[in-house]
Amino acid sequence: MDFFTHWLTQDLLLILGLGGIAFLLARAARSDRWSRAATRFRADRTGVIALCVVCLYLFIGALETCRVPVGGGATKSMLDFVIGGIPDERSYSAPFSNQILTDTKPQPDPLKSQSHILGTNQLGQDVLVQTLKACRTALIIGGLTSAIYIPLGALFGIFAGYFRRWVDDLIQYIYSTLASIPPILLLVSILFVLGPGLGSISIALGVTGWVGLCRLIRGETMRQSERSYITAARALGQSHWNIISRHLLPNVMHLVLINFVLGFSGIVLSEAILSYLGVGCPVGTASWGVMIDSGRSELSRDPVVWWNLTAATTALFGLVLSLNLLGDSLRKAFDPKRG
Amino acid sequence: MLRKTTRLFALAAALWLAACDNNPHPAPLHKTRPDGTPWVVRYQAIREDPRSFDPQYTYDQISRKVVEGVYDTLLEYHPMKTDPYELQPCMLAEMPVKAADGLSYDFRLKEGVRFHDDPCFPGGKGREVVAEDIQYVFQRIADPAVESPFESTFEECLVGMAETHKAAGKKLDYATQRVAGVEVLDRYRFRLRLTKKYPQILYWLAYQCTAPVAREAVAYYDGENGREDFRKFASVGTGPYRIVNYEPRSRVTLERVPNYTTTVFPSDGFPAAKAEWLKTLAGKALPFIDEIQLPIHHENIPRFLHFRQGYLDIMAVDKDSFNAMVSPMRTLSPEFQKRGTILEPAFEISTFWISFNMDDPVIGENLKLRQALAHATDSKRYAEIFYAGVAPVATQLLPSGIFGHDRERQKRYPFDLEKGKQLLAEAGYPGGRDKDGKQLELTLTGQGAGSEDRQRVEFDQRCFEQLGIAVKVNSVTFARLQDIEDRGDFQMCTTTGWGADYPDPENYFMLFYSKNVSPVGKNYFRFRHAEYDRIFEQMVVMENSPERLELTRKLQRILDDECPMVPTFHKAAYLTLQPWAPRTHNNLMYEVDGGHKYLVTDTVMRERLQRELNKPALWPAFVLGGLVLAGVVAFIGAVRRSKNQTA
Repeated sequence: MDFFTHWLTQDLLLILGLGGIAFLLARAARSDRWSRAATRFRADRTGVIALCVVCLYLFIGALETCRVPVGGGATKSMLDFVIGGIPDERSYSAPFSNQILTDTKPQPDPLKSQSHILGTNQLGQDVLVQTLKACRTALIIGGLTSAIYIPLGALFGIFAGYFRRWVDDLIQYIYSTLASIPPILLLVSILFVLGPGLGSISIALGVTGWVGLCRLIRGETMRQSERSYITAARALGQSHWNIISRHLLPNVMHLVLINFVLGFSGIVLSEAILSYLGVGCPVGTASWGVMIDSGRSELSRDPVVWWNLTAATTALFGLVLSLNLLGDSLRKAFDPKRG
Repeated sequence: MLRKTTRLFALAAALWLAACDNNPHPAPLHKTRPDGTPWVVRYQAIREDPRSFDPQYTYDQISRKVVEGVYDTLLEYHPMKTDPYELQPCMLAEMPVKAADGLSYDFRLKEGVRFHDDPCFPGGKGREVVAEDIQYVFQRIADPAVESPFESTFEECLVGMAETHKAAGKKLDYATQRVAGVEVLDRYRFRLRLTKKYPQILYWLAYQCTAPVAREAVAYYDGENGREDFRKFASVGTGPYRIVNYEPRSRVTLERVPNYTTTVFPSDGFPAAKAEWLKTLAGKALPFIDEIQLPIHHENIPRFLHFRQGYLDIMAVDKDSFNAMVSPMRTLSPEFQKRGTILEPAFEISTFWISFNMDDPVIGENLKLRQALAHATDSKRYAEIFYAGVAPVATQLLPSGIFGHDRERQKRYPFDLEKGKQLLAEAGYPGGRDKDGKQLELTLTGQGAGSEDRQRVEFDQRCFEQLGIAVKVNSVTFARLQDIEDRGDFQMCTTTGWGADYPDPENYFMLFYSKNVSPVGKNYFRFRHAEYDRIFEQMVVMENSPERLELTRKLQRILDDECPMVPTFHKAAYLTLQPWAPRTHNNLMYEVDGGHKYLVTDTVMRERLQRELNKPALWPAFVLGGLVLAGVVAFIGAVRRSKNQTA
């Protein structure tokens, strides 16, 4: 366990993850279909802006994930170097305010160190810092969950669509059973078994989230399997593995990419919902869901503490909207009907 | 024709508006008393449905709140004397007489105290309560079929309880299997014989579990032929009220019993601030209120809204309504000041702490480490953040009101990070690292179901991490936390504490007695200290006296020296009352809004103020009407234009 929590392991995993995505995209860009899609995507201004916003979130999340040693065995995230050093207050303070809300006498407090752009939360932590740090949580959960559900969904979908018969029956049986259980109940049950933690959330979301992708890929695989190039490959005696990996997989990858982008926003939202329900992120982890959850009681205060909720929902909204716009643009770019 | 239609429409609208009323309560049982004076009703919400009305079976706060008015107890707490709490006779004619050896108590019941009239009695007329009924109460506690949660308590102290319980098998034979420790001396007198000196037995006689019930009622209410089951929701008591209606998930209604004379309003112990007013009630017959409606509100917000509309007489301020009701100056918010609402702090008899597992190889064997952690705990800031500064910082184990609580006492380990770091270095972890340079990592277990719970645990985590150590949090549900504590599967626990069952230091110090180590008892700290045990055993059997006080101080000193826990705060809340329902007593042994028979309500003032508070706001109706009208006009215009164009 220590191995995975070590800063060097985490940094390497981050580099490997981002490098892997870049490599796959570069490989894919060689194909005609992907290069045509890239040309069309570049012409879509909304999509490009959305991509830039997503990259900004990725960058902030990467900065928070990437840790460096600062001596004495302690580590600091790169984000701490950029925005660190903002001291905590004793409790709530409004944006740009110089007073603490829980003070018995509501007057400027000499102990308050400075005003905070987005105020502070109940424990006196800077809300802007917490909002930015929560990008890491969203990206880790989004990334890990995708790493679980995309291979599951894609492979099961291809197997079901390609082999058909009992393989298709079995896979359909599994996903129909999974889909018949209310997703939130299933998630909460899995999380109660696995315990709290980012890894547990990712596993829970991953094992429950592959059904949609599987159905999509299964249908597309069935369609592709009828095409003459697959019949030709079979006639030439190609192995099943070759047909799947060389012919089918590249032809359904655009669906995987679109599903990944659109699904990512759903995962981030799910994390927020699970944290809101109290079964999400562990204590001490910055998360938009946790911030929104605390907003429940903060909105009934007088004066209302709105900045914590506003910051979290705005950040969540920005990421989810950008991902959805990006997904739409990718779908349009890969649409064969557009020529 | 048009005029007629308009008139009919106006009449219907007027009738409809007249029928509109936002009062959530059903009409009271009566409008006036037999003497013509107004019928007095009290409205106060409960959070959950009661589990049962059987006093020997139920042990939860909500049920207790309901049956409290129905069943009188042998002894009761004086409603005004709270520091220390004092017992007084209720159904007893006088205080019990203790034998010289302290192993038995003699009791005498008041004559003429009767069970409520009920069909279970011949002719429907309640009979007199006699000493034999007390034997029956303890038989019921011993009866395995009743499943009384109090059996284990009396098994330890009352002669014959364990034997009777064991001999009963599945069901007690009430005719032959009696509890030997309850001796019926004559019609009104009885004796309790104890297995050991146990002065705390008297507190149990002020608890509903020992309230007399009639064997006729238990036999009659058997759950057959449409009759209620006594172990569920039947009740035939001796108190000032009887339950007339219980609608699950809706409300419980209690009505005053005519001719109740068992107790009267006390004549002493009045707090100085209310003395003049309370003197006017001294010696008066109880109760003052004719009907109590207990609506069941599961959520905080509806409760707050009903209180704001004047439809609830009392409300403990919860976190959801705190800032709307209490100003930053800790006074009422201007809105509620204007209404004349009364704000009173209510301190619970409880202490909360951070507990250390003394069996843990890292924490349990390192006193300096525990002391360092204690110095890093900022209880003042905690109380300020999570209890708006209302909850007092705990300087000791015993909360205020319990014999042995020392008002002048200072915290042994005040918040002092430098001192904490120094002690941590002495503990073998300079800068939070061991001799190999590895950061010390501890696990903190706490409740983490809601956002506020999580923040509480995070607060403690951050406090400890300021020492330079790493603290891993294990946030669990309340039930799981109790299980973890019982199994000793933790290093440090937070968000836990103890609320007093009765106001005696034994109820707190027993938590550290070595024979109570969990899972047998509640010593989940797994604290074992021979000297502590010796003093505790001495203190338990003593009556309150200077010698006993000295022993409680010694016990507290041992806890300070050994530091198995860090007391953090005593829970407290604000209570808001409507101006027509001021509080006559402040005894928390009656629950925050209990002690029904002592409560008063001015119904005339309530009626007047309720009208003022619920004046209809007509402007939204006008705005809506205007918008609809504008829409209709625009629609008609559009249709006409469209027709013209077509033509």
